Amino acid sequence: MDKTILHGRAWVFNDDVDTDLIYHNKYLAETDPKKMPQYSFEYFPGKENFAKEVKEGDFVVAGTNFGCGSSREHAVYCLKYAGVPVILAESFSRIYYRNAINNGYPVLFVKGLSQAIKDGKIKDGDQLEVNLLKGEIKDVTNGNTFHGDAVADLEKDIMKAGGLIEYLKEKAAEKK
Amino acid sequence: MGKTMIEKIMKRAAGKEVKVGDRVWCNIDLSTARDFGGANCVLQFEEVTEKKGKVWDPDKVAFTFDLQAPSHSEKVSVNQKIIREFAKQQGIKKVFDVNWGIGQHVLLEHGLVKPGDVILGTDSHMNLLGAVGAFATGVGNTDIVASWFEGTNWFRVPESMKVTVNGAFNKGVCMRDLLTDIVGTLGADGMFFMSVEFCGDTIEKASLADRITLCSMVTEMSGKVGLIMPNGKVLDWLVERAGKEVVDRVKTLSADPDAVYCQELEFNVDDLEPMTSCPDAPDNVKKVREVAGAHVDQVHIGSCSNGRFEDITAAFEVLKAANFKIAPGMRAIVTPATREVMLQCAEAGYIQKFLEAGVIFTNPTCALCTAEHYGTLPGGDVGMSTTNRNFIGKVGKGSHTYLASPMTAMATAVRGKVTDPRDILG
Repeated sequence: MDKTILHGRAWVFNDDVDTDLIYHNKYLAETDPKKMPQYSFEYFPGKENFAKEVKEGDFVVAGTNFGCGSSREHAVYCLKYAGVPVILAESFSRIYYRNAINNGYPVLFVKGLSQAIKDGKIKDGDQLEVNLLKGEIKDVTNGNTFHGDAVADLEKDIMKAGGLIEYLKEKAAEKK
Repeated sequence: MGKTMIEKIMKRAAGKEVKVGDRVWCNIDLSTARDFGGANCVLQFEEVTEKKGKVWDPDKVAFTFDLQAPSHSEKVSVNQKIIREFAKQQGIKKVFDVNWGIGQHVLLEHGLVKPGDVILGTDSHMNLLGAVGAFATGVGNTDIVASWFEGTNWFRVPESMKVTVNGAFNKGVCMRDLLTDIVGTLGADGMFFMSVEFCGDTIEKASLADRITLCSMVTEMSGKVGLIMPNGKVLDWLVERAGKEVVDRVKTLSADPDAVYCQELEFNVDDLEPMTSCPDAPDNVKKVREVAGAHVDQVHIGSCSNGRFEDITAAFEVLKAANFKIAPGMRAIVTPATREVMLQCAEAGYIQKFLEAGVIFTNPTCALCTAEHYGTLPGGDVGMSTTNRNFIGKVGKGSHTYLASPMTAMATAVRGKVTDPRDILG
């Protein structure tokens, strides 16, 4: 199956989604990334059922500054291991962006997404088709199309390696 | 063309010329983790090195136990033990256990932070160390683990913003109010990915505590780091703790007069009033006067933003002006940032007075920023706190929080409702 074209449902969020709302501080003592999805968005008003209802292949769609707040990598793991294949947002908070890249977890910067969410042009439950190569997002439910930029430069190489640790291991092997 | 502070710091750390937008590998001066995130780092490091890995330099790794100190659960106790055992096995001596207090503050007090240092930590407010000109940044566990291999990590050279602050605060108004005003003006992403240099009269005269307050909240505007080069008393304090090298660092790493900034802002504090971040976001800012009278169930004074001796002194003065009486039914909690601050409070006689007034005076910890230790709010309750985030449910599901200065927080504890401290201080 072609993995560059993905299909799934949208879970739509607003601007400035803080890490406490993605993965609450109450569960920070968890050390096993695979156990983190059960707590995803538990404290986000209106999205409390996300963890129970999310299906493999669903997308998280957000406005600007997604993942602001804490440095907790839990907030990346809890979506990655829930089977969310890529996060689509107008922009990502700095530490969240690093944590995603360092885990080889794809994020797309999608222009106009914040306003589109406010205008109801992309809604919870919409079926999306995401072309990762072209950075194209089609809302199949209502026909709207958005364009995203993949990451650049060094981040692309880290993503290609599968994450920062893998990237450093490849570099170390090259030196030998 | 002149260089900004962050360009000079990254040039030093990368060992080559840098320009805005470059991705560079910087040498790390200190790679730290807390009881939160620390066990995740240790377990990940052991997994990816098949338990054979050695950290690149045990003297440049530190652990601080502050989020849940002392531990309140078996799970946290196990995590803390994982860290202690790893440190022992790796020869890491800089372990500040549950009795020390908030990590960045403890590192600073121990002279482990110099201007220009590149410091990583599993704490999004690590960057408050920019208050002494260090480039410190919060990161996740993967970044910490990666840095333990060879003592380097990748960074994007950020754009720089310059914020000039002039004027003198009126009675009852302080640096926290300026900061709240800035957060309200710029919004949650107003410093997106930027390095922010603070300068001007008000900054040059500011105490270390005030500089820490200012730099800690850069995170709430999505900035990378807020930077202030030490001068005057702050410089003397730092030289005493971290050594004479600090003086050279200040000389070589201060921004050039013709440095280029992407944005320059000016603030004057002469007419500033007490400000508050209303529920449920740091950038939902109003004057305290506009929301005065709103009911508050619990008040917290402390945290990495406002937990130093000067902050607690400011709160103490308000309580003193109210004849050491808090409102009936009010739960007021004061938490010093570190053991050193707690000792200062003991020596000044504050602790006895706080206790007599019915204020809870706790050990130094970050716990009041979570819903998972003490001071958790039940749904529907409203808190006021000097911490740095107030997203809905942060310290208890369905609870709401106002963020304000130590003076406003104590005035609110005295009256049991949101109160402008000038109403008590006169």
